[in-house]
Amino acid sequence: MIRRALLAVLLMLPLAAQAGAPVALKAEDVPALLKPPAHGVRVLALWGLDCAYCESNLQALMKLQRAHPREIELIAVATDSVQQSVALEQRLHAAGVDTLPSRAYADAMPERINYLIDPDWGGELPRTLIIRADGSRSGISGQLTPAKLATIP
Amino acid sequence: MRKAIALLFCLVAPALWAHEGHDMPGMSMPKGPELGASAAIDGKGRLWVVDAADGHVRLRHSDDFGRTLSAPAAVNAQAEPIYAEGENRPKIAFGSKGELYVSWSQPRAKPWTGFVRFARSTDGGEHFSAPITVHHDRAEITHRFDAMAVDAQGRIVMAWIDKRDLEAATAKHKPYLGAAIYTSVSTDGGVTFSDERKLADETCECCRIAMATTPQGEIAAFYRSIFGDNIRDHAYAVLHADGRPLEAQRATFNDWHIAGCPHHGPGLAIGADGVRHAVWYEAKDKPTIHYGQLEPGKAPVHAQVIATTGASHADVAVSSRQVWVVWNQVNAQGSALMLRESQDGGASFGEARAIAQSKDAVAAPQLLLWQHRAFVAWNTAAGFRLVPTEAL
Repeated sequence: MIRRALLAVLLMLPLAAQAGAPVALKAEDVPALLKPPAHGVRVLALWGLDCAYCESNLQALMKLQRAHPREIELIAVATDSVQQSVALEQRLHAAGVDTLPSRAYADAMPERINYLIDPDWGGELPRTLIIRADGSRSGISGQLTPAKLATIP
Repeated sequence: MRKAIALLFCLVAPALWAHEGHDMPGMSMPKGPELGASAAIDGKGRLWVVDAADGHVRLRHSDDFGRTLSAPAAVNAQAEPIYAEGENRPKIAFGSKGELYVSWSQPRAKPWTGFVRFARSTDGGEHFSAPITVHHDRAEITHRFDAMAVDAQGRIVMAWIDKRDLEAATAKHKPYLGAAIYTSVSTDGGVTFSDERKLADETCECCRIAMATTPQGEIAAFYRSIFGDNIRDHAYAVLHADGRPLEAQRATFNDWHIAGCPHHGPGLAIGADGVRHAVWYEAKDKPTIHYGQLEPGKAPVHAQVIATTGASHADVAVSSRQVWVVWNQVNAQGSALMLRESQDGGASFGEARAIAQSKDAVAAPQLLLWQHRAFVAWNTAAGFRLVPTEAL
């Protein structure tokens, strides 16, 4: 009996670890998020609940990441408050992208986090920030076209 | 073994709470009212403010230019969901006989859906009529981002973003970018609204619609549209309330291409001389707020950059030769409410000046005129503020 319960709990563990709620992103967390990766690229997929183009953009990026798992680290970053984590998680799940590492804003002024992430971004969504190992960064606003996707890896 | 199970539960439980946490009593973080608000000053100098809290559009007023606000009164007696964030906020306007008109957008069950709602008071805000839905189309789709103004004849002109044509096109597997804008008029003080008319197809799906009164007393609209392949420039149209055909014309030409949601509508003020003062945002290279005088069909004149990096959500007002432009300017520390003024009818503007600061979240600023003086309604998480524009 106990062994069975233990097994059930053990089976649940990976699920809980993968599809967790978005982790809070505070102003002081931004430098670590922007730090160049040791190799390849880190891609921040900025998205929001009130954005008709964001989920398909996340799906396209996840497909690209799956094709280049060693080169691309992909993080979904919601510009909505982490207080809305239930709604955010539901939306990510419905779009089939809830296995991605996920963050959500936790600041009294979301525009400040926008500014800290990229001062040349006015908050328009979707936004893709590409951070390369050589320290260079580039930002693309709007849904990514296949041509733009191809420039990421 | 029991210890191992207990340990595992300790590991798993936080993850489970994180899944459901915010629906659990005592676990949700306090959430104040959303910041979407509108304000207006009536002919007697009384300030009126509408925002939303706990399912009610609430109305407050002030007789000392915002220093103290009255206790809130509920516009809708029965609570309902209300959009009150970003570009989607309750609106207030005055009728020709002192009526108070209030509109808002009501979220429906599915994401991005909504109904445009309206209520009125004929006794100075003591009582409000039961809210009505403005549009006759009742499909559970987008009808939101309502805009409202009253024309010189006292007719209430409403416009909103509407996805019925997108839905129809999608059902036929035909391409359709963005959403349409529909408009409706009430000629009986908001008791009923006319059948809605389409102003334009393929406009931006998430940006507020700016309105202003023309010298002829009609209501004009200025809004972010879509040209070609997701070029999100702006269009201008007079919303004829008498049934004449509606004609929208492209009015800005920055060629910002974005398949996305700028959530960033323009501002419009029309002088007694008919000059159409406009402010708008684009981020082709970097966030930029532009000023220009609209010449629909052609490029604006006196076009100039008002502000760049960190600047957002501008508004404009005009009184005689004086033009005011305000916007939010964010930096690593917080937000400033910025002002630039023109004394020559918008040909040139003075230096930018910070007239208020906030470390809390802020809503888009709204310029209000009263007896040729300009004030800025600025809703912040720390409270509503009415900021004078005069240098102290």
